[in-house]
Amino acid sequence: MDTSDQKNLERRVFTSFFQAGFIEAFTGIFLLQLGLPALFSRSGFGDWESALLTLPIALILLIAVFLVRRFVVTPRLGKVKFLPERRRKLSKLIIVPILTLIAGAIVGYIFTENAPLRHIFVGQIPFSLLPIIVFGAAAYFLDMKRLYVYGAIVGLTFPLGKYLETVIVSRNTLPATILFTAFVFLGIATVFLVALLRKYHEPEV
Amino acid sequence: MKELENQGKKQTTDSLSDIMNIDRLVHSPARLSILTYLSVVEEGDAVYLLNQTGLTWGNLSANVTRLQEAGYIEVVKEFKDKKPHTLLRLTDSGRKAFHNYQNEMKGLLDIKSLSPGGLRISRQNRMK
Repeated sequence: MDTSDQKNLERRVFTSFFQAGFIEAFTGIFLLQLGLPALFSRSGFGDWESALLTLPIALILLIAVFLVRRFVVTPRLGKVKFLPERRRKLSKLIIVPILTLIAGAIVGYIFTENAPLRHIFVGQIPFSLLPIIVFGAAAYFLDMKRLYVYGAIVGLTFPLGKYLETVIVSRNTLPATILFTAFVFLGIATVFLVALLRKYHEPEV
Repeated sequence: MKELENQGKKQTTDSLSDIMNIDRLVHSPARLSILTYLSVVEEGDAVYLLNQTGLTWGNLSANVTRLQEAGYIEVVKEFKDKKPHTLLRLTDSGRKAFHNYQNEMKGLLDIKSLSPGGLRISRQNRMK
């Protein structure tokens, strides 16, 4: 086995710890947090009420994900401490939120300073670019190509919602599109988890 | 032609002596698998090895004990949430032995040692 084989094996082992669907679950919950308040506020609720209605749903889902990880997935997959090289690469994931903040600040500045641009871009480019940048960076640092696809799906959701709003004249089209994507991700997460449960059983010591 | 045959004979003799020097403790498929999966992480628990290698508990335990006795791996047994938890990591000598084995096997399987002369002599040696 030469070095490249060993690197491939290391990558395979590393990605095998991401087969429980947690990335998909977190993406789904994130999209729910975007879609639900928008849906509530367009249905007549105030901004605070919409946020307060969404928060418990997101919290319950997050707690469920952590409990599943702690009591279902870890006992089946085992625990591993990766090599320092991999841990260094993982620590670079901090770039992802930094990129998000920088991109958000730039986009915010452009919008507040240039009113005409606001009309052209609002709801389109920033909402599409941000997920593509964030998922792209995560895909690179985690060595997981499927995250590029996720970035494209999440990125396309917003312009698609805006476009559908012009075709199907309804106030709820954009939130409904976001929620649809959220449920697609939660569905993928469930499929991953079920596949893992079928493949691995909790070992009896 | 004679020279070529002699060269092949020498290479094969070298290869054969190299085969004899292979670390048999590492050479067993189960132990090689354990060492391989431990070489790509800093440490892993028994469940990780069980999943990755596809060995049974008994087989894994027996081979881990042999590797531990040879000083190739370090085993830490602890209790987590009142359940036994076994953590395994490759020692420096284990990592060295694994890399030596890799290099030796790579050398043995090198195309040079599979020259026609070498193969013929090797068959003759096998018939003896």
